[in-house]
Amino acid sequence: MAATPLQTQTVDLAARFPSAVSVDARNGYTGWLVEKDKLLEIARSIKEELGYDLLTSVTGVDYLPEEKMEVVYHAYKTTGGPGLIFKVQVPRQDPIEIPSVTPLWPGVDFQEREIWDLLGIKFTGHPDLRRILLWEGFAGHPLRKDWKEGFYEEDAKPFKSRWPEGNYVSSEEKNPYKDNLSFPKNFDPEKWIPEGEAALYGALARYTETDEQGIKSDRIVVNMGPQHPSTHGVFRAVVTVEGETILSLKPVVGYLHRNHEKIGERNTFLLNMPYTDRLDYFNSMSNNFGYALAVEKLMNIPVAERADYIRIIMAELSRVQNHLVLVGMLLNDLGAMYTPALYIFEERELILDIFEAVSGSRMMCNYFRFGGVARDIPEDVLQKIKDLVFKRLPAKTDEMDRFLSENEVLVSRLKGIPVIDGPSAVQYSITGPVLRAAGIPYDIRRADPYGIYDRFEFDVAMRTHGDLMDNYLIRLDEIRQSIRILEQAVSKIPSGPINSQKPQYQVRVPAGEAYGRIEAPKGELGYYVISNGKPNPWRYHVRAPSFINITGLEKMCVGKKIADFIAILGVLDIVLGELDR
Amino acid sequence: MDWVIWLIWIVKGFFLAMFLLVGFAYLTWYERRALARIQVRVGPNRAGPFGLLQPIADAVKLIFKEELTPAKAYKIVFFLAPIITMVPSIIIAAVIPWGPQEPQVKLFGYTISLYVADINVGVLYLMSIASIAVYGIVLAGWSSNSKYAMLGGLRSTAQMISYEITLGLAFVTVILLAGSMRMLDIVEAQRSWWFVVIQPVGAAVFLIAVLAEVNRAPFDMPEAEQELTAGYHAEYSGMKFALFFMAEYQKMIVVSAIAATVFFGGYLGPFVHRWPLLGPIYMLIKIIILLFGMIWVRATWPRVRYDRLMAFGWKVMLPLALAIVFITGFGILLAQELGDPIYLTVIPAASIVAGVIAVIMVNRALTRKRILSYEPR
Amino acid sequence: MHEYIAIAVLIGLATLIALIAIVLGELFGPKKKSAVKSMPYESGMDPYGEGTRRMPVHFYLIAVLFILFDIEVVFFLPWAVVFRKLGLFGLIEMIIFIAILLVGYVYAWKKGALEWE
Repeated sequence: MAATPLQTQTVDLAARFPSAVSVDARNGYTGWLVEKDKLLEIARSIKEELGYDLLTSVTGVDYLPEEKMEVVYHAYKTTGGPGLIFKVQVPRQDPIEIPSVTPLWPGVDFQEREIWDLLGIKFTGHPDLRRILLWEGFAGHPLRKDWKEGFYEEDAKPFKSRWPEGNYVSSEEKNPYKDNLSFPKNFDPEKWIPEGEAALYGALARYTETDEQGIKSDRIVVNMGPQHPSTHGVFRAVVTVEGETILSLKPVVGYLHRNHEKIGERNTFLLNMPYTDRLDYFNSMSNNFGYALAVEKLMNIPVAERADYIRIIMAELSRVQNHLVLVGMLLNDLGAMYTPALYIFEERELILDIFEAVSGSRMMCNYFRFGGVARDIPEDVLQKIKDLVFKRLPAKTDEMDRFLSENEVLVSRLKGIPVIDGPSAVQYSITGPVLRAAGIPYDIRRADPYGIYDRFEFDVAMRTHGDLMDNYLIRLDEIRQSIRILEQAVSKIPSGPINSQKPQYQVRVPAGEAYGRIEAPKGELGYYVISNGKPNPWRYHVRAPSFINITGLEKMCVGKKIADFIAILGVLDIVLGELDR
Repeated sequence: MDWVIWLIWIVKGFFLAMFLLVGFAYLTWYERRALARIQVRVGPNRAGPFGLLQPIADAVKLIFKEELTPAKAYKIVFFLAPIITMVPSIIIAAVIPWGPQEPQVKLFGYTISLYVADINVGVLYLMSIASIAVYGIVLAGWSSNSKYAMLGGLRSTAQMISYEITLGLAFVTVILLAGSMRMLDIVEAQRSWWFVVIQPVGAAVFLIAVLAEVNRAPFDMPEAEQELTAGYHAEYSGMKFALFFMAEYQKMIVVSAIAATVFFGGYLGPFVHRWPLLGPIYMLIKIIILLFGMIWVRATWPRVRYDRLMAFGWKVMLPLALAIVFITGFGILLAQELGDPIYLTVIPAASIVAGVIAVIMVNRALTRKRILSYEPR
Repeated sequence: MHEYIAIAVLIGLATLIALIAIVLGELFGPKKKSAVKSMPYESGMDPYGEGTRRMPVHFYLIAVLFILFDIEVVFFLPWAVVFRKLGLFGLIEMIIFIAILLVGYVYAWKKGALEWE
């Protein structure tokens, strides 16, 4: 089985805009280099004339040796097919400014803020360019290659300094506190008071009083989160409410930020595999899958046949348990006192048992390797999977459907409450079940098949109304489709080696870039990896579905009730590990 | 002689208060165990056999918790609010009869009546005390000077007063059937038929309104954990929080007792008029069954959204309650004028028709809403 | 009147229980005040703006409607007690009374006082 096909150039942009576009001719790179000044014009033509309506990923790269900064755009068609990559390069001298494409794709809002936050590229014309993952007042932009963290040791692992004379000296001992921390002038960390809140509250439409037939009543600004029972972690939303109705809302994220991408650049390629587990900690198998795909594309290696099947089985089991948890927790958010959630956890435990049996860990699986998987599935575990897939899971899904879907209170809470409509969802770069519930049948497993998904028979689940009820029902549909795929995969799985490569601690990755994307349970999970031929990635970017799906949160929630906001957050299925990275 | 009466009052009051206190403690245990069984869990089972000492452990823990008062709170009101909430939940039980008046119960040569107070406007007393409980909640929410508490307090006030009307009308049907506001008369009037048989829809309306009155799921708006974190008592800790908690569970017991009294025959049961001490036992059984119903509902149903809850209260429950009042009145009149109690069957028949119409209206409202919101924007 | 004295005794007892509970908590609980602890809870953030504000008008509307209908219920109570004596006359009289009240109810409904949208 060959590796996933490389993205091919289907449109000749350079022919259309000979003066402003050139082919990216660097070795191992694809796509088009676009002139900064013509970006908006060309982007509009890409979106409106060429039909690449879904701009999924926007990210920046710091090419320090070449003194260049680059912003990379990945655009796709919702009708399917390979994507179009276009890039803007600017000299690496502050202020680095690039026009914002938010007027065309409002969904890049948070991604551009993230690039500004981490790389210091300013987007002119962005409506609300504040830091997003870090706090306002943070010094520097950490993803720049010349930015060093406190207790910095070396650029890349394995750190030679860790075992210089056979004994371990921790970096805290070598660098006492404050010695290698650099603060801006006149900054005393002991006396510092955060000031970013003013900008945030200022960003909310400012309401103090309303005049309703001469009667004045106040509108209240409430913080929902970070310490709130139903924001699924440390997610925070600042909400202006009048009575029960939401007038404006700003999500605030980054409380769990750990600069995953910088850590990824320090690690070797293989060392990143367990780190991906920590992104969406419900679906470590899917996370592994995406990263393995991206690096395999770079290395241009095939995947062992049996491993391909194992990957599909694991990814789909992961999807099943993710959607089960979503349904349970959604009911919990609606106030159903944990009862559905606890019944669903029973099924989830069985799936986690399988993960444990194959990988040794229930949640942080670290199971995929470049070219295959880490360990083979034992025969008895395969039998267990068969039992689950053919008997237990379909029965339990039907049971859940029967008990929950027609409950009057549930129907009255979910039915007819719009989350987002199809065209807006595409505009906001929303992917995954939320997009499909809005009537856009865009599923990467079908639209741009990866792995061996093209060998299986399944339907792309789709619902048309885009309301909460459809968002809930589509999860059940997807569980059923996943079970269909699983049934085929477990019966057809061949025997053979589980890795096309020799087991190795260090992989040799040729220079180049690759974007590996999969249909994770929460949406499009993409890894943009750049190698410069060294053992560590030059750039390692995660396109996290949770992060990008909340871009449209304000649009979804304005005019609805507080209780609806909780339910919408529930169906958006965010995981903070992935959102804050 | 005089001091004996005082003593009887004090002892009876003490017994009632202790019954509710212990009942509260073991209701929390019962709820947690029942919820656990419904949710394929075990529930508290470490403190004592079957976890029976768990409530005591909880109480001790709460005593040793720090009491916090928000800086800008209205201190006096903040202190008074839990007391105002807790006291009505005990005294409301004063008029509930636990056994028949005849034959009398004799103890140490004194006649002991199986109630604290037998007032001839018992139902009015219940309604007035029930509405006092609103004050505690709104004052708690207002005095905390916290947004969550404020929103929770407002929500629950609006909710409780909305459902109070329905509750009052459900009481009116009972008074119509019994012809008296005295609780003992109401129970004795059910000797041939429990009122739940004569007026099933009335009982259903009553039970739904009661769920909303005591802020239990699916109407637990004020406390909506997922939305308002804890609602009106978000700022309370330690024993002041315990008082709110206590009030909620005592109210559950008391409303179950009231529901048992007015619709489920109260202390009535086999041989109760021969051995009056059977009365409290029958009451207890009925209360426990009704309480289980409340716990069951909590374990299985999601929360209704706030605006739907208010719309349901004003647009469905209120007209339905009015309708069943008149249906009851009409049925009684028919039976009285024609001199045959068989005509009382008009009441359940017509009420069920009214109830079915109400359910259809709710379904239609939901459907219409769906179609409206599905139109292209 | 005896019965009401019994209730008064019960009120005393209940208040006593509440006070004992609070005093127990005050006696045994730790008392370590700090500025952060005495901040109102707002999901872990510093509260923004005042906690207690003017509330939306809608709640007042509900309160007014409540008074209207609660008084109606109070009228119902004595009527229900003597209903059997009043007979058909009582029923018709009450229907007229409610019909008048329902006009207001329908008006409030049509005006949107019962909507929470």
